[in-house]
Amino acid sequence: MNPLEWWLVLAVLLFCIGAYGVLARRNVIVVVMSLEIMLSAVNIALVAIASFRTGVPGGGTVFALFIMALAAAEVTVGMAIVIANYRHRRTVQTDQYDELKG
Amino acid sequence: MPGGDFHPWLFVIVAAWVLVCALGVVASKKVMYSAVSMVLCFLGVAFAYALLHAELIAIMQILVYVGAISIVILFAIMLTEVQDGEYRQFFNRQAIAAAVLAALAAAAISVTIVAADIGPIGEKTLNPGVRELSSLLFDRYVLPFELVSLVLLAAMIGAIVLARKEEERR
Repeated sequence: MNPLEWWLVLAVLLFCIGAYGVLARRNVIVVVMSLEIMLSAVNIALVAIASFRTGVPGGGTVFALFIMALAAAEVTVGMAIVIANYRHRRTVQTDQYDELKG
Repeated sequence: MPGGDFHPWLFVIVAAWVLVCALGVVASKKVMYSAVSMVLCFLGVAFAYALLHAELIAIMQILVYVGAISIVILFAIMLTEVQDGEYRQFFNRQAIAAAVLAALAAAAISVTIVAADIGPIGEKTLNPGVRELSSLLFDRYVLPFELVSLVLLAAMIGAIVLARKEEERR
């Protein structure tokens, strides 16, 4: 195995741990945290490929920067939705969100 | 040797750190422990970027994830945390199926990566420095860069509108 493969396997393991958290946890805040871990895993894969392969110079690095900005936007809106939903239903458990209307 | 400046021991330390902290996020009983684990995990990811010689990304990781995102999530936890008593279940009904699915996916993708011919890799890690990266960002990728600023503005407005108190809404 070469170093790039090691880094990619690390990214895959991290991604799958995050996916398990998204699928299995009941607390919606933990779900969002697991989502962030999945995004970080993808970022690791991008940066690893960008540093070991010569393609577009800096393409993967710039892509990773954009993913970070979008992750920040996503978590902001996500937490706002969680707080607004909490005002309505006094819960952060995903299986209590059983109606999607105001 | 390809990938000449790959440090196996540093890689093992960073990988173990990141994976253990990620498992801590997923498995912790208390949301606050999950959050602390997440901060440590993001710190580990920053070290991973530093190992890959992507210094700017490592600094950005610490600024954005360890700084901003963690604070937002901590505020959300403090604004919402009441669950106790009847909410003693931390995993939903599909937890076992999810574990099997995640393990299978991890095994399948890892085997594919190892088996696939990834092709020649460079002699050493090459990432653009800050100077090259910023000139790329403001030259070749200037349109996505500006669009991201629009997205961030929209997210900011959206968050304010969503999290506003109910009485002020018409």
